Amino acid sequence: MSDTLTLNHRPKDENAWERNVPVYGFPVVNGFFLLLTSFVLIALVLTAYRELAGLGPVSGMNDAFGWGIWKTFNVMVMTALGSGAFAVGIAAWVFRRKRLHTLMRMSLLTSFLAYACGLLLLGVDAGRPWNFYWIVFPWKWNMHSPLAEVAICMSIYAMIPLAIENIPPVLERLWYFDSRLRPGVERIEKRLHSVFPYVIAAAYLLPGMHQSSLGALMLLAGERVHPLWQTPWLPFLYLGAACFMSFGCVAGTTMLCCLVWKRGMDMEVLDEAARITSWLIFGWLGLRFADIIFRGALLTAFRVDRFADVFWLEILLVAAGGYLLHRSLKTHDKQHMFLGYILSSLGGMIYRFSPTTLAFRPNPQALYFPATIEVLVSLGFICLGVLGFLLAVKRFAILPAPLHEWHSMANYFRFRRPYIRWTGYFKFGYFGEDESESVSSD
Amino acid sequence: MAITRRELITNIAKAGVPAAIAVTAGAEMLQAETLSVPSAAVGLLYDATKCIGCKACVAACAEANGTAPDTRGDALHQAPSDLNDLTRNVIKLYKPADGSQFSFVKRQCMHCLDPACAAGCPFQALSKDPVTGIVSWTADKCIGCRYCTITCPYHIPRFQWVGFNPRVTKCELCSDRLAKGLKPGCTTVCPTGAVIFGPRPVLILDAKKRIAENPGRYVENKIYGEHDNGGTQALYLSRVPFEKLGLPELGEESVPERTLRWQRRFYQYFALPAVLYAGLVQVIRKSLKGHENELHEREKQTGLRAQI
Repeated sequence: MSDTLTLNHRPKDENAWERNVPVYGFPVVNGFFLLLTSFVLIALVLTAYRELAGLGPVSGMNDAFGWGIWKTFNVMVMTALGSGAFAVGIAAWVFRRKRLHTLMRMSLLTSFLAYACGLLLLGVDAGRPWNFYWIVFPWKWNMHSPLAEVAICMSIYAMIPLAIENIPPVLERLWYFDSRLRPGVERIEKRLHSVFPYVIAAAYLLPGMHQSSLGALMLLAGERVHPLWQTPWLPFLYLGAACFMSFGCVAGTTMLCCLVWKRGMDMEVLDEAARITSWLIFGWLGLRFADIIFRGALLTAFRVDRFADVFWLEILLVAAGGYLLHRSLKTHDKQHMFLGYILSSLGGMIYRFSPTTLAFRPNPQALYFPATIEVLVSLGFICLGVLGFLLAVKRFAILPAPLHEWHSMANYFRFRRPYIRWTGYFKFGYFGEDESESVSSD
Repeated sequence: MAITRRELITNIAKAGVPAAIAVTAGAEMLQAETLSVPSAAVGLLYDATKCIGCKACVAACAEANGTAPDTRGDALHQAPSDLNDLTRNVIKLYKPADGSQFSFVKRQCMHCLDPACAAGCPFQALSKDPVTGIVSWTADKCIGCRYCTITCPYHIPRFQWVGFNPRVTKCELCSDRLAKGLKPGCTTVCPTGAVIFGPRPVLILDAKKRIAENPGRYVENKIYGEHDNGGTQALYLSRVPFEKLGLPELGEESVPERTLRWQRRFYQYFALPAVLYAGLVQVIRKSLKGHENELHEREKQTGLRAQI
């Protein structure tokens, strides 16, 4: 659903991202891929053990801390990082920041993977998952429960709007793969585009609802969440954190990919993303402090205890990230920009992790520390997402790139297992500028 | 072309007017929905000043509910240190180090008039009986999310951590015994009458009588649960402050009402989300059209197929 050809004028910068191009010339299966696969396999075996043995033997969860990292990290934190389809999408489609369309495929992919892996682990974390079938009977839902809202809304979002939004790269690959598929693909695309406004609108409404409801979850816990975090504004702050974290995730991942696979970086797009992120961060910090001050909880931040430490760590990371991003707009320093994304996202992760775990005090004696198996499973499901990402960017046109990358790729695939098959490539009026003379169809 | 100011304002207006109506209408509905005391609310009255800590009620509870005695402490005695997956009812001791007033306390489900566990339960596995007001757990609906263990302000529901088919354990006021005309297990064995069973209004009258007859015996002359947390069906009388017994000061408004007020308004009949959705569709339709036009123009320029 994203696009790269948004600029009307010829770009002056030769690095301007104009097209999504698959990563070519690198094998999908390499050492790193195998390492990730082994983590995933370990996690799957341990998951089977968990289903038989119960949650107690495999995790550090106890009566006081009923929720462990599977929920509080893999769902609460990772889906915040994976809200790119929501935050970047709203900026691009609702507020019409057109340059950001180049980042849309990255956002949609990272979101889908983060949500899918989070939901899978949510199923593992549920003690009685076979009762999930109630989800298809809306009259059995408890509509006023934040958790019902989260569970239902998240599954619907990931399975319907987000999945549909991720279809275009797949169709595009089929289109290029074989000319016989083209009429069919074009028919599907046409139908897809006619439902897009409804799908995209749902894809912004639903995450807006469940990302805020994730914050509302801890409202019911009342005083047991430290006053620096417990506030009626928790849903709104959760949503805000998801916004700047997901910008960080999308733009940061794209920058990292550009470094790894040696692609040009379009500083116009990245500057735009950094500008929006820095303002999101400053707005969020302002709201966070205003809320704490008006509730009169500021003094608790100056006590010497672990809660104050966590609070200041979070605030410093987010603020430093925001400052670096803001500065990188003037200096055009890519390193500062990247570091800014990393720091602000880390701070946001700590924020999203705190109310349920770090700042949750069910009673003075209660302790929670994840067990080894718990950590391995959590890690395995994150690795599953990374695996999916590596596979997708190498097989589909996800990563944005300058136009010349597209032509190089077309040349590269001429004699190899193709993204583009040359059969019929030039029969449909789509000529690559570079090769139009040198290549005949085979 | 960024969104124009006029467009933004028009769209906000389009979405905002019905939204305002929806929220107001929803808020009125919510006020009509506020919970009242169930018609035949039954409950427990526990008088901590009468309790001698014999724990007969703990054994009777296990027997009445058919749970195995929890002997995990010393492999000999049924001596659970707290509520757990085998224990719905427990006697605990509050004994300050300075030797001042000590007290026993019986902990079991409070059967709140507006239970936080049921408010949070996604598929209504925890539900409040509209007649007796007993909060009970249904195995067929529970997905094992353990949100009840997070939300309950008294920290009552406990999850079974071992086994592939875990259950949530909490006092259900022996509802199956009540159906047979029997009293809850714990109230049948208490040698001093520290815990008694009855209709909630009768228990409140009884408690008030005790307070009137023994001035100065009960802390603040207060019945915990009469108004606390919106009212509970288990009522407490005590000599020591209630917080020391694990009964926190929660105010007269129930926890769900206090914390989920806005959440409930926003999702009332799904009115506000529906209006927002309609507004979003309008904006995105327009964006999509502009975007597609640009794409096709660019397609002609480069000769490469548009990537939407």
